[in-house]
Order: sequence, then C-alpha cells, then structure tokens
Amino acid sequence: MKTSDLKHHYSQQFNSELEGIRSRVLSMGGLVESQLGTAISALNQGEIDSAESVVANDCEVNACDVDIDERCTTILALRQPTASDLRLVLAVIKTTADLERIGDEAKRVARMVIRVVGDTHDESLVGQIVHLGEQVQQMLHRALDAFARMDIQAAINIVDEDIDIDREYESVVRQSMARMMEDPSSIPKVLDMIWAARGLERIGDRCCNISKYVIYFVKGKDIRHTSLEQIKKELDAG
Amino acid sequence: MLVAWAAGAVLDQVYLFLLLALLAYSFRNLYNLRRLAIWLGNPNFADIPVHFGLWGDIYSKIARVSLRQAQREKRLAELVNEYTASTSALPDGAVALDARGRIRWFNDAASRLLGLLPAKDIGQPLLNLFRNPEMVSFVKNPDYARMLQISAPGDSERKLEVRLAPYGNDQTLLLAQDITERLRHERMRKDFVANVSHELRTPLTVIGGFIENLQMDESLRNDGLTRPLELMAQQTARMGRIVEDLLLLARLESDSYRNQNDRVDIGELVRNVADECQALADDVPKIDCEVASTRRVLGDEKQLRSVVTNLVVNAINHTSAEQRVALSWRDQGAQSLLEVKDNGEGIAPEHIPRLTERFYRVDAGRSRDRGGTGLGLAIVKHILHHHDAKLEIRSGPQEGSSFICRFSSSRLVD
Repeated sequence: MKTSDLKHHYSQQFNSELEGIRSRVLSMGGLVESQLGTAISALNQGEIDSAESVVANDCEVNACDVDIDERCTTILALRQPTASDLRLVLAVIKTTADLERIGDEAKRVARMVIRVVGDTHDESLVGQIVHLGEQVQQMLHRALDAFARMDIQAAINIVDEDIDIDREYESVVRQSMARMMEDPSSIPKVLDMIWAARGLERIGDRCCNISKYVIYFVKGKDIRHTSLEQIKKELDAG
Repeated sequence: MLVAWAAGAVLDQVYLFLLLALLAYSFRNLYNLRRLAIWLGNPNFADIPVHFGLWGDIYSKIARVSLRQAQREKRLAELVNEYTASTSALPDGAVALDARGRIRWFNDAASRLLGLLPAKDIGQPLLNLFRNPEMVSFVKNPDYARMLQISAPGDSERKLEVRLAPYGNDQTLLLAQDITERLRHERMRKDFVANVSHELRTPLTVIGGFIENLQMDESLRNDGLTRPLELMAQQTARMGRIVEDLLLLARLESDSYRNQNDRVDIGELVRNVADECQALADDVPKIDCEVASTRRVLGDEKQLRSVVTNLVVNAINHTSAEQRVALSWRDQGAQSLLEVKDNGEGIAPEHIPRLTERFYRVDAGRSRDRGGTGLGLAIVKHILHHHDAKLEIRSGPQEGSSFICRFSSSRLVD
C-alpha cells in the first residue's frame, strides 16, 4: 500500500486521522518491542532493576491500547469508513489488542526474572529461553515492519516461521521436564520458567495474528483460521 | 498577387482574380499552419517540412529552442547523478524527512544502518519503521544540539549515534553514524584502567606497609637510610593516591553509581573546606569565604566535598602566601554558582581547554613535586556531570584564575 493511496479522500482531516492511528499503533509496537527486549536482556543478565522497569512501564502500554481504541471508535462512528479504510481501522484495532497482550507477556517474563534471579543451577535452560526470546523479538520486529509497509510476502514468511518457534518451545519443555526429574527441589523454579517460555511462544502466535491482519487489509481476505497451504493457494489465486 | 492583378487586367476581371489569389494565399497558410500543428505533435528535427520563408524560420527557431532545452536537461541530470553518487558514498546514513516526518530520500548507508528499503520506503513516516520509544520522543521534541545514542532498529548489537538538522521548509535531515566499534573500544579502555588499578592497589599497600615498618625500626636508624626511606614512602603514597583516583574515576564513569539523595548544604561545605585548607600549612594563602545563597544541591555529599577540596587545593598550589583565594556560593537566577577564585599566577589560554584531561600538566615539574595526581580536575568534571552541573574556567597569565561550578535548577532546592 502506498501512502499515495490514502490521498484520494475529499477530507484532509480524515486522511490525517487514518495516518494518525497507523502511526500510533506502530509507536505502541515500538514500546512493546522495547519492553520485550528489556525483559529478555534482564533474564539474560539477571538484572532486577531492568525487570522492575518493565513491570512499571506496562501501564504505558495499556494507556496506548485505550487511546487507540478510542480514536478508532470515533473514526468508525463519525466517518463511517468503507472498503480499504474500514479494513485499515479494523486491522489497527485488532493489532492493538494483540500488542497489549504481548506487553502483558513481557511483563510476565519480567516478573519471573524478579522471582527467580540468583539461581545459577539452570543456566542452560535460561540460555535456551533467552534464545527463544530473541527469536520472538525478531519476529515481532518483522511483523511490525510488515504492518508498516503492508508487505504481504513478509507477512507470509512470518506465518511460516511460527512453526520454528513452536518447535523451540517444545524443546524447552522437554529440557525442563528432564531437569525436574533429575532434581525435584528445582520444580517450583523450573515451572516458573516454563510459564515464561509459554508466554514467549504465545507472543510468537500473536505476531502471526498481526501478519494475518496485514494480509486481511491488503487482500480483503480473512485467513485467520486457515492453514498455511490454504493461505498460499488463496493468495496465488487472488 | 501581382500576377493575379496583371492577368485580371488583361482579362478585365481584376477583382475576381485578386480574390482568387487572396483565397489561394489563405489556404496555403492554413495548410502550412496545420502541417506545423501536426509536426509539433511529434517533432522530428531531421524531417522539417518547410525550409524557406517565414515558415522555415519558425521551424528552425523551434528546433533551436528545443535543442537548448534538451542540453539544459542533460546538464541537470548529470548534476543529479553526481549528487546521488556522492550521497551514496557517504559512510554515514542520511535521511531527509518532510514536515510530517515522512521519508523523502535516503542514501545507501541509511538503508544499511536503518533497514530501509530503497524506493519502497519513500513516503513512509520514519517513525513507523524506526519505532524505538527513545527515538520517537527524540524526533517529536527535537534538540538539534543533542546526539542520541541508540540501538539500530532490528539489530540490537549495532549502536548508532543519531542527530537531527532542520533545513528548508520545515524539513529535517537525520544523520546516523555507526558507533558500535567506538563504544566497544571505550568499554575496553575503561575496563583495562579499572582492572590495572585494582591489581596495583594491593602490591602498593604491601610495599607502603613495609616501608613504614622499616622507618619505625629503631635498629635501622642511620643517616644513610633515613632519606631514601622517606622518599620511598612519599612516592609509594603518591602512587597509592593515583590508583585511588583512577578507581574513583572508573566508578564515576560507570553510570550505575549515582546517589541523588543528599541535600547538600554547600554553604556549610564551603566554610568547612576553607577552614581545613587554611590549616594545612603555614605558607597557605588567605582563604576568604562568602556564602550568599541558602540553596542546597541534591546529590552526593562526599563527592561534592571532593569537588570543593580539589578546587581549593589547586588554587593554593598556584598562589603564593601573600595572595588570596576566594570561595563563594551564590545564586544567579534559577541557577547557583560555586566559585573558587585566586589572584595567583593564572593559566595561559592555550592550556585552558585541556585542563580537565587526565594527567594534563601546565607546568610538569612543579605540580608533581607537590604530590598532585593530575586527576583532580578530571574527577571534578565527572562529579559535576553527575550533578547536572558545568565547570567554567576563566584565567589569564598573571591574572589569577576563576573556577565556577554552575548548578542548574533541576538539582537545586531551597
């Protein structure tokens, strides 16, 4: 989608409102990216201060959520957009919701860091979770780039990658189970870490959702509950 | 026309023939006009329909104008190519933004450093792609004098230094430089200094301890040993002070060390230090003290005491016993100034910018003898930086010196 497409509107005001919600959702995306990055680095370095700042800043993410939803509702009510404009507003609303959840997952990871830090027994497990986190971070960044550029190919690639994330998560679970079996006293801590890993895997799923909204916006097709092969077939046909 | 008239006269039908001639002339002109219009629709300079007379003139003039135009366009295209080539060659990233923050163009380096896609990202608001919250607030409230250090979008290992420059009609130029290597080197240097200093501390303590023991040993009292032991003790102590100062600087440089909780009474501090320094020796110049402000500074008391002591000791070292040193703490509007002024030998202008460099000496021989470490002003500068304050130095040869610490309102309380 070129920005020039937005220009075919009789109302400049409407134009800038649409550009406005686009910028705001991406700005919120940047904030969430930063939260996630800080949470993972806190996990890696065992830094409680960073983790606490993530927990504290989550209210900002929530504030963005409320603000963008309000603006979108206003646009829907006053402008009654149609066709691609309507799809844009809907895509923004859904993306905002997913971003807010991602922010929550980052907060969950940060809380885990605060509880678990100091225990050096599980370095390799922590290392694996950090690696999973870094991959998910990349995925989020690319999903938001795809949203900014309305780039379908990038969006499809992200949906493709989600499988890798799921596999890594499964490997983390397997390693955790081995750990718990070899040392039952570590179970509470390891359970905590599994919840954090699960949260990261959920972030991966939400990045997939955001990519699907991109495809929805550009192609007008809702592909949320179709398989990957179906998606590719439909897009090649349309 | 003449032919027509003559023929008409002969045939006694002048007006008829004149009329026919006139009509023929008009049709001929209309025909040429139409030819010109068609030709202009798809001008081909190699195939000009008419070469002579008025029409030929028109055609050749049109050809000349077009040729000049084409040459001008060619020159402009060459200039644009040269310009694009030179911006591509720039090692730093440059992005031009319009009044609404949308990308107008960017060079290859910007594409590489910021992950921008050539051609595709033109027109996209930069902040949609460079989403880091610090960047967003930097661009929305630009401080054109400030440079922001930030991670590259999508690549947290790469560190950039970004600055903004306004130009034209509300347009902004964003410049980004890759400082990853530079930061790495700085970190290595700091780590090295801290490690070396740490390692030296213990051996120095051990040596110093034994020298002290030897000095106190009655059985070793003889003239030959006293002086050497004295010198050894002094030099060891001096090395110890340098190591301590280096370690202090290393701690100050690492941002994690910040105490902002003491409400330091500078007036009281100034009086204390003045008294202490006055008592240091007999040949110390007179130290005057003027406290005109009751404001306090939010920060670290020990560090601020260090600042005052350093400045006063420097002043004493550069003045003779008959001269004076004046300390003052006063307000200037929303800011407050701590000044240490002396009427001693002063500093030549070429030295002033380098005074706060580590180990920088104006007069190498003399300061070392006094036991100075050469790190005092570097420490003062760092501590002031941690307190959001600035150091101003005014001096001239034989004119004395004035060292002013300017504290901003953000750190002052009444």
